[in-house]
Amino acid sequence: MNLLDAHLVPAVDGVAYGLLLFVVAAGLSLAFGTAGVLNLSHGMLYAIGAYTGAELSDGTWGGLAVGLAAGTAAAAAAGAGLSAATVPLARRGHLAQALLTFGLALIGGNLLIEFFGADELPVRVPEALDSSVTLLGHRYPAYRLCFILMAVLLAAFGTWVLTRTRVGAAVRASADDPQMLATTGHSPRAVHTGVLAAAGALAGAAGVLGAPIIGPGAGTADTVLMLSLVVVVLGGLRSLWMTFFAAIAVGEVQTLGVSLAPDWAPYLLFAAMAAVLILRSQFTEPATAGHGGGDAGSDPVEWLRRRLSASFKERGRGRGTAEADGAVRSSGRGGPLSRLPRGGPDDSTLASRGRQAAPLLILLVVLIALPALLDAYSLSLAGSALALGLLAVSVTILTGYAGLPTLGQTAPFAVGAYATANLADAGWTVGPVQIVVAAIAAALFSVVTGPAVIRARGTTVLMITLAIGELASAAINQMKSVTGGADGLVGFPPTQALWGGEGMIEEDQVYNYALVVAVVAVVATIAVLRSPAGKLLTGSRNAEARMRASGHPVGRYLFMAHIGAGALAGIGGSLMVTVQQYLSPADVGFEIAAFALLAAVIGGSTSVIGGLLGAGLIVFTRDWVASSWPGHGPLLLGALFVAAVYLLPRGLAGLRLGTGARGPAKGAELPPGHDSVPAGKVAP
Amino acid sequence: MLELTGLTAGYHGGTVLHDLDLTVPAGSVHAIVGHNGAGKTTLVHTVAGFIRPSAGSVRLGGRDITGQPAHTVARAGIGLVPQGRRVFAGLTVAEHLRLSHRPPGRGDATRPSEWTPARVLELLPRLGERRGNRGTDLSGGEQQMLALARALLGSPSVLLLDEPTEGLAPGLAKQIYALVGTLAEEGIAVLLVSPSPAQAAECARTVTVLTSGRVTLQVDGADAREDPTALHEALELAPVRSAAR
Repeated sequence: MNLLDAHLVPAVDGVAYGLLLFVVAAGLSLAFGTAGVLNLSHGMLYAIGAYTGAELSDGTWGGLAVGLAAGTAAAAAAGAGLSAATVPLARRGHLAQALLTFGLALIGGNLLIEFFGADELPVRVPEALDSSVTLLGHRYPAYRLCFILMAVLLAAFGTWVLTRTRVGAAVRASADDPQMLATTGHSPRAVHTGVLAAAGALAGAAGVLGAPIIGPGAGTADTVLMLSLVVVVLGGLRSLWMTFFAAIAVGEVQTLGVSLAPDWAPYLLFAAMAAVLILRSQFTEPATAGHGGGDAGSDPVEWLRRRLSASFKERGRGRGTAEADGAVRSSGRGGPLSRLPRGGPDDSTLASRGRQAAPLLILLVVLIALPALLDAYSLSLAGSALALGLLAVSVTILTGYAGLPTLGQTAPFAVGAYATANLADAGWTVGPVQIVVAAIAAALFSVVTGPAVIRARGTTVLMITLAIGELASAAINQMKSVTGGADGLVGFPPTQALWGGEGMIEEDQVYNYALVVAVVAVVATIAVLRSPAGKLLTGSRNAEARMRASGHPVGRYLFMAHIGAGALAGIGGSLMVTVQQYLSPADVGFEIAAFALLAAVIGGSTSVIGGLLGAGLIVFTRDWVASSWPGHGPLLLGALFVAAVYLLPRGLAGLRLGTGARGPAKGAELPPGHDSVPAGKVAP
Repeated sequence: MLELTGLTAGYHGGTVLHDLDLTVPAGSVHAIVGHNGAGKTTLVHTVAGFIRPSAGSVRLGGRDITGQPAHTVARAGIGLVPQGRRVFAGLTVAEHLRLSHRPPGRGDATRPSEWTPARVLELLPRLGERRGNRGTDLSGGEQQMLALARALLGSPSVLLLDEPTEGLAPGLAKQIYALVGTLAEEGIAVLLVSPSPAQAAECARTVTVLTSGRVTLQVDGADAREDPTALHEALELAPVRSAAR
């Protein structure tokens, strides 16, 4: 009783926090689940509401009402604008849209700071609510109680519209099959715009009302986006009830959890997320809604029961399936595997081989020449670009070849980086040792995370990998003895290129070392991707069902690809530490993950060289261009994101399609997911 | 009445339909037969507004609807029962009916009487028994009925049926064809795509053979019933009976 008494206030706070997250996450889930847009600018929409609300709040009811109206309208308009912005991308799948929203989030966040300043704005609640009430003997802010009421009303209204009205039916129908919705006389485009505007309105309203809880500031958008992504992943897309419970749970972790177990709270959130992801095998794409068994959308108990029984069955079957997989593989070895083409027909002539290798050779010559051309600072940036380039190549393997678009490769990247820094600190400064240990550590990490990643397809992978990246970030901030926490690591001895050498201090030494490592890693990667193993991967991405039907253990291939990509990212992380000579959590954070994905996409998602060039372009934009216009780095990068999405649908590699060289196959048009054509959708 | 004049359409620059002329008077069934790839579904999709024709026109009761988006075409009075049914997986039967019900547009003299959910359920009573079930919980036949109900609830003056009996048991297929006849008697102009020339001839007033996107034969349904030779020749079918024996 005493325990309950002591924690009543944080527990009620948790409800308020959870309801706030529910309203925001409901908008995110609506936009993703029914309009197919994974809106990474959703946190920015909340920030628009929060800033507007704070600006207009003057301690009166009128101020709150005007703020609510203005903030909601502004965010809804931004949502509708987003819908218009995705029109040209309609045929390009979810990933292009997600990248666009990330670019817009960077731009919008920068503009908000420009406009409102970087400091957190104070929020004044109406005076009548600016008091405390007595709750079971505790004093509690009246506004929060009032907020709980308003959030419940908002949630109930939204649920009613979606599940009980004709408009709601149209929204759900458009998620299933927009063309068929059109044959009933409803414009799918109007529904799309309406859904994104409504999602924006939810975020905006939550921003205005929730500003006293999560206030408007520089980090607001990211915090809100991350937490609501966690809620959406935990809750799944099928059931608002599950989203609701997930939101309350996250709210309680963030408040009650922090007060009960301050050391463990950050893990709890992402550990719960990881547990859900691993247990749940059917977190399916919205587009595949027709296949999934999740039809108990409105009944959480039934849903939970089915989910649990399904997951137990899965596990029971696990062993048997593994054996079967093995059997299939060994029997398949003589059959389909051996008959796979050993390189395409256009590989046969020397000329076309030369043409294919030409960009790589040119790039290599330029990279070798760089130390003679650049000053020391620029050269160290070029070294960072190589490290980021390896990360981008690792993302390219997963995104372009395995069809698993990832935002979580910074996690193995971080493992490699921290492993290297700690090795150096312990006196192990020999380069190859650091590289190998970093690669192994990152590969082991990928073994652990692999099962969660390779089950999903398409945009869902983005969310799962995002969770992995965030879990890694939380761990980095917690495990201070290994990672130095938020301060990072610095002051460890420099790397030696080989046994017995001197520690490398000069920029050109470090750069040359990075170049050699990168070239070896990239050449090895290309060799693997060109081998039959690479073809198997491509086949798995293009026609997973057919590969499975011909006896290929697709899951195993993807798992191997995930481990390989992890090892490569680990090498990249190791290089980055060697080049930078310090390591901070920001070097392995979400932004870097997004940059790596952008680099892969800029490059053309099946082009290794493209990924390297993309990384170079990003480092160039972030560090060279932005230094001449301080404070606008995110704006420039956001613009780069948006431009890349619109102007380079096939990436840089797509630009040389016309020259007769074999361009990236259809792969540059990112797969919206394996076999994601809904039931009954027949191509004409 | 549906009138297609010089209709030319295709995908990504490749032309599939070439200069097609076709008229479906109100209250009649016009069947399209042809091999796979002949352009039957492309024709249906072009009329429905999924594909923008590169030349020619689509007129509905005298009104030009060429190149209009699909939802405008639907509102103008064209109902579609697509190949593969494509019912909404996440919506119940009742929600399908509610979503699709739309009173006929004003000032459209050619349009037949309004279809309400009650009237549709009278015609397709099976759907009434499954009101609470979702689209994917239905059997193939029930899904077909639901797709038909969805199209009817827009109170169309033209109904496009793309292989409505695909994958259905023969008995059920027969029912569907009987239903098509009933709907035509109501005054609806029906454009029926059928893989089977015999079935097409059975219920259609006119049968058109489509080969590589061009009309290669147009015969009266009654004539084709009496002597299908011309139809079979146009489709280059071997005389089926002698081959079977």
